[in-house]
Amino acid sequence: MRAGGRTVGEAGGDAPFVPGQPDMWAFVLFETLVFTGYFGFYLFYRARSPALFLHAQSQLDVRIGVVNTLVLLLSSWSVARCVQSSRAGASRAALRDVAVTVFFAVIFLGCKVAEWSRLVRAGHGPDSDDFFTYYFFLTGIHFVHLLIGFVALGVIVYRLRGAEARSPESQELVETCATYWHTVDFLWVLIFALLYVIR
Amino acid sequence: MTSAVTPRALPLRRRLLWHCRNNPKRELWLAWGTLVVFYNVFFPVFFVVTRVQPPPQPAWDLATQVQWFHERHLGIPLGFGIIFAIAGMTAVNNALIAYSMRRMSVSRAFGYSYLLIYSLSAVPGLLLLCIALIVGTLRPQRDPRLIGWLYDFAFLSFDGTMGVFLIGSLIWMLAILLDKNRVFPKWFGYLNLCNALTEVVVSPCWIFRRGVLAWNGQIAWWLDMVVFGVYTVAFIVMLFRMIQREDFGTGPLPARVA
Repeated sequence: MRAGGRTVGEAGGDAPFVPGQPDMWAFVLFETLVFTGYFGFYLFYRARSPALFLHAQSQLDVRIGVVNTLVLLLSSWSVARCVQSSRAGASRAALRDVAVTVFFAVIFLGCKVAEWSRLVRAGHGPDSDDFFTYYFFLTGIHFVHLLIGFVALGVIVYRLRGAEARSPESQELVETCATYWHTVDFLWVLIFALLYVIR
Repeated sequence: MTSAVTPRALPLRRRLLWHCRNNPKRELWLAWGTLVVFYNVFFPVFFVVTRVQPPPQPAWDLATQVQWFHERHLGIPLGFGIIFAIAGMTAVNNALIAYSMRRMSVSRAFGYSYLLIYSLSAVPGLLLLCIALIVGTLRPQRDPRLIGWLYDFAFLSFDGTMGVFLIGSLIWMLAILLDKNRVFPKWFGYLNLCNALTEVVVSPCWIFRRGVLAWNGQIAWWLDMVVFGVYTVAFIVMLFRMIQREDFGTGPLPARVA
């Protein structure tokens, strides 16, 4: 099975293998560190005003958060299927998986915009209190990451529809973009846990 | 362009002279040296001499703002006098970065766009900030409301250029990711994206006067400054390595030049 210009399972499967460009993993590490900083500041301010944060958190609808999380996890599943299909040389199936990923991502964005609108209409804007400052900031910056994810999905489609869809370079790019998508998902799971679940 | 004399066999002073006269990369090294000198002056001036960074509280009342200017009535004119003298170095810095993009296998539009966008942003992002703060310190007897206006104008003009830096970082990122000449490693392209994303975080400072997203906030300023610091060191090192590897060709850059 070809993956990122290398054969998975070569040398008895013992050879170290990183999906996609190793450079993307540096990005994952760096972004994770930056988000750790954001989460650290959130937890610090939460510890200073627990009552305010608890009250504000009760204004969130956990069901929307759960739906968002499930939808994004499903999008990660479909992008992983896309990588598998691409490795197997099944470009058509891989393209279908990208379309499924886009579908889930659009649902996520729709849910997020609907939730923001509901909160703002209820008087909980970004500057209403510390919790909602963090809520809008963390979900907003994640939203921006997700929008960039659409560009990554666009790159996958471009490579899979191109003449060199089965080249090692294309495979590496598909895996690199999928890694980015999983990062967006992984960051959301942490944001969901912090904003919706931890009380 | 090469000399028969082996430079390594010469004493240090004569070797330096030889490089100034004969090294085909002397202009590139001069530009890189200018970059290093600029940042080595820029940070101490803003943080130590003028003490305008880290930025003060946006929510301060007029009396405190006037007091803030008064405490810096010597440092601001002195420090920004130095900045006005060396501000032109930013053109050389931008030119070196644009050169790196011209050395790539991508369209020249990337380099020119970067050069243009950063040259224009230096006016509001650097010079206007300095001018507004010097004007604030020049006549302490000025109406405090005018001092307050200058205070807001200075820091918001600085923050207002973050969108330009964002686009600049994205241009460089795109050029690196598309490049086939291996001028920079791809991770540096992704680091440009990280830097661009932290520029986005500055935008809420137009709304917040206190908290982590205010212009002096822990996220909008402190965390961003850490990322910017890492990014600055990374691009200075990357440009150094690019010059080391430069062969003045048009194809892929060699891994290492002796």
